[in-house]
This record gives sequence, structure tokens and C-alpha cells, in this order.
Amino acid sequence: MRTALAIARKELSIYFTTPWAYAVFTAMVALSSFFFMGLLQSFQQVQEMAQEHGWNRLPPDAAVYRNLTDGVVAQLWGVVLIVTLFVAPFLSMRLFAEERRNKTFELLLTTPVRPIELVLGKYLGGLGIISTALGLTIVFPLILSVFGASASEAGAALEWPTVLLGYGGVLLWGATCMAVGMFISSLTESQMVAALLTFVVLLPWMLLRGLAQGVEEPLRSFVNYMAFDSQLQNMLVGVLDLKALVFFLSVIFFSLLLTHRTVEAQRWA
Amino acid sequence: MAMIEVQNLTKRYRDRSAIDGLTFSVKEGEILGFLGPNGAGKSTTMKILTGFLPPSEGTAKVAGFDVFEQPLEVKRRIGYLPETPPLYPEMTVRGYLKFVATLKQVPGRGLKAEVDRVAESTGVTNVMDRVIQNLSKGYKQRVGIAQALLGSPPVLILDEPTEGLDPSQRAEVRSLIKGLAGKHTLILSTHILPEVTMTCEKVLIINQGKMVAYDEIKNLASVHGQAESVSLEEIFIKLTAA
Repeated sequence: MRTALAIARKELSIYFTTPWAYAVFTAMVALSSFFFMGLLQSFQQVQEMAQEHGWNRLPPDAAVYRNLTDGVVAQLWGVVLIVTLFVAPFLSMRLFAEERRNKTFELLLTTPVRPIELVLGKYLGGLGIISTALGLTIVFPLILSVFGASASEAGAALEWPTVLLGYGGVLLWGATCMAVGMFISSLTESQMVAALLTFVVLLPWMLLRGLAQGVEEPLRSFVNYMAFDSQLQNMLVGVLDLKALVFFLSVIFFSLLLTHRTVEAQRWA
Repeated sequence: MAMIEVQNLTKRYRDRSAIDGLTFSVKEGEILGFLGPNGAGKSTTMKILTGFLPPSEGTAKVAGFDVFEQPLEVKRRIGYLPETPPLYPEMTVRGYLKFVATLKQVPGRGLKAEVDRVAESTGVTNVMDRVIQNLSKGYKQRVGIAQALLGSPPVLILDEPTEGLDPSQRAEVRSLIKGLAGKHTLILSTHILPEVTMTCEKVLIINQGKMVAYDEIKNLASVHGQAESVSLEEIFIKLTAA
């Protein structure tokens, strides 16, 4: 276990002392900010319309805009999910591919490190970096709670339990992206190929919902089940969905298992 | 029981064999020199001995443990310097050596002392806080040797340890290697024949995957050469001419 932690520490130290991760953080924050502004604007527009005409006259789905939590934050988390999908491959790509390129894979495989320790250590490092990237997005709810007003006169601007649960869903998705990305990184020497392949795997996952429209039952239910955003829907609006937890943890476990197999396979080359 | 025992080691790739029927052994405390032209199979043999590649046929044992069956036991007892030193360019020398020491299960308490020890014996003490990618080739090579020495493993497998070093650095590494004999068992591969004569007792010459000579240096001349004083270089060229 000590070795796994040392490996995690090494990964994090390299992430934080080289520019790449910071470039990724910038992209993450920039994209999220952009959408945050858009969401705020929509929120404001609906609020203004409601002031004018009253809530009853507006279409029913405008009801989410009654408060900041549902109107802005829940949708923000939905956007952050997509930004994570685009950004995580650039963080996970180096986990194993870089070792092969540096020729340090030989070092790792000729020292008394068990493949399981190697995989866990690298995954922990990956978790650390994606948590940091996603941690940057907490600033948006914080801004809202400082400057926003609540729907009722007294009380906080945001329902923090809902916000945090949604954030938990985002973290879970980030952890899943890193697990998948790490597995793909273990398959190649080129970081670019790793990033691209990870993207190619994750993106259709997001679009799966759209595919569901075109197929019939029972395939449609299956496809809907597999789409990650339907899994996370409940979490994002503050409902703890154990089904989603199990789903993503299974994907993570499976990815780690495959990575372990790939590392072991070197022994049988 | 020999420290390193290799029997009929063969490694085949799709259409050719990198090494074929290699058999040799190294006694404890001995230094074996591995010689051969480029592409002869020296690095492949070392990769098999360190557990990085599996053999296609044959067995390799280090300290009595089979490399394929009990790889962890073998890895605990070896220090390996591959052809390309396995360095992380973004780390500092100190950070790197500390990391490798942890990988090699050097106990936490003595870790700093161990890192300082290998740094001193390879002469990298004054670049400990430099980032590895800013080092010259010579220093990088020495850091590579240093990581192999961490934990004072009983068996050292060094693939071209003096590669990229200037003559005075070469001399230092040579004396380092000579100092290690006795307490450690070494296999080192090199192109630089004078170094083999200066440091090794036994020599194995490999060509196109096959063993063409395996003997003590002083016997080689009488077996393969015409005169007593024929140089290792001449023997090498003669045996690898094919």
C-alpha cells in the first residue's frame, strides 16, 4: 500500500509541477464560466418575465427557475459533466502512456511493485487531479450563495444539500472518466492516441440518449439505462440514487480490472 | 548454487529469434561481461533476467528463484539499469531517487541516508536538486546507475553503464563496478572492450542470439586466438564476423 501511495504522490507532483494540468484547469474554468454566465442570463430572463406576468402564466418547465438551486446550479452541474468529458482525457492520457514513452515502464516492472499497487497508485493520482479540477467549479455555487437571494424571503440562496449531492454526482462522473482514461492510456505509448481514444469512448456515451430515440423496446430501455446522463439525472437534482452509484462504481471497477490485466500482460508478452 | 543460472534461454518474435539456447551461470560475487554486436540479444537477455519479458523457452533463475514463476522475489534482489536510463524528466534527482527507493521497498527510516549514499558513490550529490531534464547526458547516466544501486541489491544488471560518459567518468564507473564485486554479483553489457578486460573475470560473447564464446578472459585467447597475446577485440571481431 505504501508503494501505491508513493506512486500516487509521484503522479500528483508531476501534474502540479508541470504546466499541462494548469492548462487543463484553465480550460475547465473558462468553459464552465462561459456556460455559467449563460445560465445566469436565462435565469434572469425568466425571473423578469415572471415578475411581469406572474408565475402561473409561464410554461410549466419554467418552474425550475423559481430558485437558484434548480434554476442555475442543477443545470450548471449538467454542463460541468460535459466539460469533464472533454477535459478528463487530457488528464488521464499520461498515466501509463508517458511511462512507456519515457521507458520508465521497465523501471516499474522490474522493481518489486505488484501490478495492483501500480494500477491503484496511478488511479489515486488521477483521482487527485480530477478532484482538483472539479474543485475549481465549486466557486460558482459559492458566488451564488454570496450574491444571490433566496426564493423565500429568509434563508440561504441555495439548498446546499442538493448542490453538494449534485456535485457528488459530478465527482463520480469525473472518477469514472479517469478510470476509463487510465485503461486506455495503458494500451498505448502515445498520449495523443490515448486522449483521442478516451474521447471516442466517452462521447458516444453521452450521445447514447439521442440514439435511444431511434430504437425500439426493449433495446431502448437498455440504451437509456446505459446513458450516463440519465443515470446522473437524479443525483443532479438532489436525489440520492444508489443505482447510479452502483453503475459508475462498476464501470470504475471494470476499468481498473482491465488496466491491471494490461499491465500483467507485459509479463506474458 | 550459482547466483544467476540461465538454461537454454530462447526468445522468439514472430519471424526470428532474438536469443537462442543461451546457457550460462554467474557465481556469487562474480562479474560477467556481456559482449556482442548491436542487436545481438544482450538487452533482451537482460530484460528476461529482470522479469520484464518472458522467455519463449528455457529458464532463468536469480538467487534460486525462477524469474517467471517468482518474479517478485527476483525483483527484490536485483538492481537494473536498462539501455535507456528510466528517468522521469520532470522530477528532481532527489525526488526521483527517493521515489525509486520507495518502489524498491527501502525502509522509510533509512531512505534519505540510502539516497545520499548512492548519490555519493555515483557522484551526483551536487545535482540533487536539479530537474532531470536539465542534466547533461553524463549526469543522467549516473543517476540511472544510482537508482540501480538503491537498496544495495545482491545482483546488479547493467546495460551499457558507461554509455555517454566521458573518459574520466568512465574510469570512475569502472572503479565503482570493481568495488562492487565480491559483495554483489554483476552482469554488465558493453561495447567497450577495454572495460571488459579491466573489470570482468568472465566474458560471454553473443552474436545473433547465439552464444559464441563463454569463458574467463585469460582462457579466451588460447581457445579462440592464435597467439597468447591476441586482443579481446580481435577475438570479438573474429567470432562475430559471420
